[in-house]
Amino acid sequence: MTAAALALTEVGKIYRTASGPVQALDGIDFRIAEGEFLSILGPSGCGKSTLLSLASGLEFPTSGTVEQAGRRIDRPVTDIGIVFQTDVLLDWRRVLDNVMIQPQIRGLDLKAYEQKARDLLALVGLAGFEDKYPYELSGGMRQRVSICRALIHNPPLLLMDEPFGALDALTREQMVMELHQLWLRERKSVMFVTHDIQEAILLAQRVLVMTPRPGRIAEIVEVDLPFPRRPETMESRRFVEIVAHVRHLFERHGVLKKY
Amino acid sequence: MDRFRIPTSLDGPIVGLLILIVWETGVRIGGVPAYLLPPPSAIAQRLFTDWDQLLYHFAATTLEVVIGFVLAIVVSIPLAALLAQIRIFERMLYPVLVASQTIPKVAIAPLLVVWFGFGLMPKVLIAFLICFFPIVVDSLVGFRSAPKEVSWLARSMGASRWQTFVNFQVPAALPHIFAGVKVASTLAIVGAIVGEFVAADRGLGYQLIVANGALDVTLSFTVLVVLSLMGVALFALVDRVERWALPWHVSQRLKHGGSP
Ligand SMILES: Nc1ncnc2c1ncn2[C@@H]1O[C@H](COP(=O)(O)OP(=O)(O)OP(=O)(O)O)[C@@H](O)[C@H]1O
Ligand SMILES: [Mg+2]
Repeated sequence: MTAAALALTEVGKIYRTASGPVQALDGIDFRIAEGEFLSILGPSGCGKSTLLSLASGLEFPTSGTVEQAGRRIDRPVTDIGIVFQTDVLLDWRRVLDNVMIQPQIRGLDLKAYEQKARDLLALVGLAGFEDKYPYELSGGMRQRVSICRALIHNPPLLLMDEPFGALDALTREQMVMELHQLWLRERKSVMFVTHDIQEAILLAQRVLVMTPRPGRIAEIVEVDLPFPRRPETMESRRFVEIVAHVRHLFERHGVLKKY
Repeated sequence: MDRFRIPTSLDGPIVGLLILIVWETGVRIGGVPAYLLPPPSAIAQRLFTDWDQLLYHFAATTLEVVIGFVLAIVVSIPLAALLAQIRIFERMLYPVLVASQTIPKVAIAPLLVVWFGFGLMPKVLIAFLICFFPIVVDSLVGFRSAPKEVSWLARSMGASRWQTFVNFQVPAALPHIFAGVKVASTLAIVGAIVGEFVAADRGLGYQLIVANGALDVTLSFTVLVVLSLMGVALFALVDRVERWALPWHVSQRLKHGGSP
């Protein structure tokens, strides 16, 4: 068996707070294969962002292990692209420079990467905004800049924390499709955090459904829909079935009420 | 309908002018003697006739203020950066800083004169000491102001400590640093004047003492006007530098309706 892009084994995470310990994650056990697209789906506060911080070595599990390409993580991982839940744009840098911070810090060839940055910005619909400051952008535009920043150095593993949360439905559908195309082209390993059932299913090969606090795995749902996926895929019978199955899981764990 | 509106840039001057008019007419109508409250016109006249004297003392005070102020900037910001980097430094030094700040500068001014004589040195030192604290405190807050995610971003890119400092910490700190420097710019003048009150043979503080001794209230007021002009000028200078250095911050502040 080849080494997984990301492997979590019996991971638990307890935050120590002033008002006592908070169990954020418990018994999380899954792997993302090389080139796999995995969605993490769960209600607010179930530990999705925590999972992402563990997967990137920015925080460490209280129990269990996190491995990347067969190596146990004991420091921040650098050959990944992260889209944080908040856009984390640097207010003092213009849009282009916010994307360019990535190659700049990594000491890459700035000339070559500048063209790439412009292309990426154009891809997400931000051509013409290269010289704006972040405060001149809308929330959705800011998040799109941070997506470009996560992609520019062509990382083999992408961690995305609700990247389309701040977008309107139309832009959102378009961005979902762009991400899908990108993944089909480049076959990166992706861990995609969301609380949108349709989005999670449409993009992924498998959907990891989480329970509310403490975050556990309710089920890892196989999405056996053909590629490439399209907006119309959401109308297919199989898609609707999978959505129903996931809703049922959430009902069982008290996330959704039955009417 | 287009109503006539006063440009916002004129708000300040218009209010100032109104105060001057009220002051002038009040003094004239009320018959207040000039040795209690001189009218603005008398002060303006004095500014004109005594300009050489005023300029001489102005230059002396300006030198003290500028040296003390610049010294405070040059020492405080790197110190704050160091404290922000190394936790143990902050734990050891910060309480000492706070404790030292509770000593009133006015109280140690005579001591500084004993140690450093009557010249430039004690005035510069007092100006420095007064400016030092607000800059250190604000800068320290600034160097720590980047949220957790920003340092996460830096680490996920493999940024070295120095890269993190230069590319993330310093730019995030600059608005706070400027806030501290602005406060300090007004305090620097207070420091220099306190020093001159204790012992001096020149400077606007000295001139103020002489004017008071001679019961020359008009001259006292004239010196006060010069002092406040100096303060406004120094503040405006810092503000200018901030606008130039942090266009992203200043425009954001204006957008959110804060004061410029
Ligand atoms: N640094 C922290 N210190 C203490 N508790 C934390 C910390 N970070 C997260 N938690 C707690 O861990 C739990 C999971 O938080 P997390 O941010 O991972 O949720 P989430 O699934 O990303 O939620 P959302 O969808 O709202 O973003 C929450 O109960 C939260 O209060
Ligand atoms: Mg989250």
